[in-house]
Amino acid sequence: MNLSDSKKKLALAGVVCGIVAALLAYFGNPANMAFCIACFIRDTAGALGMHQAEAVQYARPEIIGLVLGSFLISVATKEYRSTAGSSPMIRFVLGMIIMIGALVFLGCPLRMVIRMSAGDLNAWVALIGFILGIATGVFALKKGFSLGRAYITNKESGAVISVIVLGILILALFTTLLKSSETGPGSMHAPVILALIGGLVFGAFAQKSRMCFAGSIRDIILMKNFDLFCVIAGLFVVMLVFNVATGRFVLAFDTPGIIAHSEHLWNILGMYTVGFAAVLAGGCPLRQLILAGQGSSDAAMTVVGMFVGAALCHNLGLAASGTALDAKTQEVVAGAVPLNGKVACIICIILLFVIAFTNKRESKA
Amino acid sequence: MRKKELKLVVTFHTTADAMAMEKFCKEQETPGRIIPVPREISAGCGLAWCAPLEDREKIAAVMKETGIEEEAMHECMV
Repeated sequence: MNLSDSKKKLALAGVVCGIVAALLAYFGNPANMAFCIACFIRDTAGALGMHQAEAVQYARPEIIGLVLGSFLISVATKEYRSTAGSSPMIRFVLGMIIMIGALVFLGCPLRMVIRMSAGDLNAWVALIGFILGIATGVFALKKGFSLGRAYITNKESGAVISVIVLGILILALFTTLLKSSETGPGSMHAPVILALIGGLVFGAFAQKSRMCFAGSIRDIILMKNFDLFCVIAGLFVVMLVFNVATGRFVLAFDTPGIIAHSEHLWNILGMYTVGFAAVLAGGCPLRQLILAGQGSSDAAMTVVGMFVGAALCHNLGLAASGTALDAKTQEVVAGAVPLNGKVACIICIILLFVIAFTNKRESKA
Repeated sequence: MRKKELKLVVTFHTTADAMAMEKFCKEQETPGRIIPVPREISAGCGLAWCAPLEDREKIAAVMKETGIEEEAMHECMV
């Protein structure tokens, strides 16, 4: 089935992915997180022992499913292409930067949309930063930014990331080697099989529809093209209906229990960082997983960068904390971005400007 | 809604090449516009140059002159 020949079908792909996210939230994923690439990569990095934040360690089958879903559908439809060679180390750094920005905000663009659909006004504030970040990236593209072309490589090379996530799945299912949170967000999850199937379905539909949160806004700014936006709109509508129907829709700022904070400037700057870096890397965190699955070693480097970035965020105290209810006093304790996180975010933005305006297309004219 | 027509679609190795193509074509008043790469051509998410079929030679000439290398030239409904 061709999912991309009309806006309706693209929106349908978004609806399917929205249903997957809603089901996973219903069956146990953390409230309002449902399906967050940044959070789930962070949890998986924790499961592997890359960081020691005990509340966020769990090998999320969704991440594994996304990569494998994209891999399998691209092989089945002969779209698997093993490519590499487009500034891999810069992409690694962009992956780290994406993750630092995401954990200052507390979520990837996918979770931002899911939070928006639950009435979290912080996510609507962050959207301003995300759009500004993408606009800055588009400006860099117009000024000739390029990481250079990718080349066809041995087909085995593009499959490495899929084999690695399969290995993590085997470790998670058949051994006790991986860490698993007993409390906190890492302990809240849908059943493994459901999460894995959800990831596979989401991955396959995302590969077919080219779903990308950064790309959708990039295409609107650059070409007034709304194709990719239709996919996001479909997902948003499903999650909105789900949240309203299940009483999870709360229009507010300081809401305890949804893992978000109300430091507006840092919500904006966090997502500014993610939007800017995602345009330079050629896709949001979700899209990087999908591209990696369909054979791009360059996207796989960005994914590895996201894992390392997630580990650094918790090892160096960069990640923000969410607004929560104190169990003893029943008082609302406001979430915040630590000083280290603020400094790291600023450094990331400076680095993005350096990367954006020093890497230029080679002109032969 | 705009009716789909058979068009010339040029894909490039990088987004920057597509952006450069747009710049040169505008300067030289060569017909066409930049579009997302049609899904039937690629699973990637880059940009492509879309022009009327009859302008193939004009487009090829601009690319030769400016040193922009195409990945491929397609004819598809856009």
